[in-house]
Amino acid sequence: MKKLQPIQTLSLVLIFIFSLTGILSLNSCAPTSAISAKTGVQLWGENCQRCHNTPSPMTFSPQQWETIGMHMQTRALLTQDEKDKIVGFLKSSR
Amino acid sequence: MKPTIKLKSLLLLLVIIFTGSRTSVVAQTQNATDSALSDRIAALELQSNYSRTGDDHLLVIGLATFGWVSTKTTNTIDGVSTVSRSNSFPDADHFEFSPMFLWRHGTKFLMEFEPSFSNNGLGVNWADISYFAAPNLIIRAGYLVVPFGTYSKRLAAGWINKLTTDPMGISEMAPTDYGIEVEGGLPLGSMKMNYNFSLTNSNLLNNDGTLSSGSMGDVNSNKTFTGRLGILPLSNSSLELGVSGMFGKVGTPGTSFQNAKGTAYAFDLNYVNTISPLLVNIKAQYNIKNISDVNYISPVDSVTAYTFTNHSTAAFIQCSLRPTTADNFLHDMELAGRYTTYNTPSNSTWGSDQSSYTIGLSYWMSWRSALRLSYESYTGNSTASKALNAYTGKTLKNSWYIQFAIQL
Repeated sequence: MKKLQPIQTLSLVLIFIFSLTGILSLNSCAPTSAISAKTGVQLWGENCQRCHNTPSPMTFSPQQWETIGMHMQTRALLTQDEKDKIVGFLKSSR
Repeated sequence: MKPTIKLKSLLLLLVIIFTGSRTSVVAQTQNATDSALSDRIAALELQSNYSRTGDDHLLVIGLATFGWVSTKTTNTIDGVSTVSRSNSFPDADHFEFSPMFLWRHGTKFLMEFEPSFSNNGLGVNWADISYFAAPNLIIRAGYLVVPFGTYSKRLAAGWINKLTTDPMGISEMAPTDYGIEVEGGLPLGSMKMNYNFSLTNSNLLNNDGTLSSGSMGDVNSNKTFTGRLGILPLSNSSLELGVSGMFGKVGTPGTSFQNAKGTAYAFDLNYVNTISPLLVNIKAQYNIKNISDVNYISPVDSVTAYTFTNHSTAAFIQCSLRPTTADNFLHDMELAGRYTTYNTPSNSTWGSDQSSYTIGLSYWMSWRSALRLSYESYTGNSTASKALNAYTGKTLKNSWYIQFAIQL
């Protein structure tokens, strides 16, 4: 049997991981009730600090938070529900 | 005339005057009340309008970093050492002024443009437009950072980076290029995942074996595919693991490089969690890049062909600690340490085995501005070809940095 090159092995591993993730996502995309019940303040505390310090709600106006929410959704790849709840919290806590 | 009639007339007159004046006072009071109420309603309407999401909104934010660096460099080649010292204010690599324009059109479109003044020149970090096509599906087009690892896209900004320098080789393998991209985050039970795929103009293999990107035209008409999948297995989103791949032809047609292919992989880890009394922040990324074996022309005589295994790796691991539960000045301090390694192809004209240790202390003046002090020790061993007169010996660098970084 022909021995696989390391790069081919790595490619196969990646394809396996991609496929597994794809199957998992197709089968159980719905969040659990505990995840769905998370509040905006909870998600703000959990997600913003993954990259930077948690922002003060006072930093921007509600309209600005709306724009920044869209920008952060593209950077941190937040789910739609997370983005909506976090922006909602930031707008209402000023 | 009878006096009684006079008296009656007088009384009648008084009643009329009194009633009239009272009506006037009530009317005035009523008018004042109405006016105050109207003012209040107008103010509330204004406030309400201000809170309401408008159709369009242009926002200018951005970042600036400014620093000072002092470096002692020792280079040893063929047993002979030379020492040089320098200090720079600011140094070219650590000064940046980058306003970012975010232009939201309704809730479906977002334009992002970030010009940057850095390294004594003006450049563009990204210029793209995103379409929020559906929940958890964003389509982007323009000049964009390809989704390879997470450092370039999420962590490289001066006010976000915990240290004053970037880890060697990490950003270099994640180019900015013209193309299209789809991305999004998805719930996955109690976990989450995210995806990010792009198709961009090809990276281009240069005459020395390095790659360049960002051409307006696609020289070989073969696009580069880049993809990243991330998974957040813990319900509190504290851990993210990602795997990325980049594939494409890199050769120019009609040259000896025309069949050359480039393949790269990245693995990234991000863990942020409070383990009382500290906020623990661990970040790591490992990049691998391979380019097909091809013949290059010697820069010595411009005739002889030479080749080498064009394989590069770059990796870093960084840990930072911040006592967020402290109720004194320690709350605003953050200690960070990082190890970086970057190995480029031996027997090329630019190969070296490099590593560095960096340690730094940040003082957070606000959630988005910091004053930093850091120290970096760098070792570089040239693995470049002696036959091509490219060998540069061993280099040791010790640098001190002071930096102010802010998001505006």
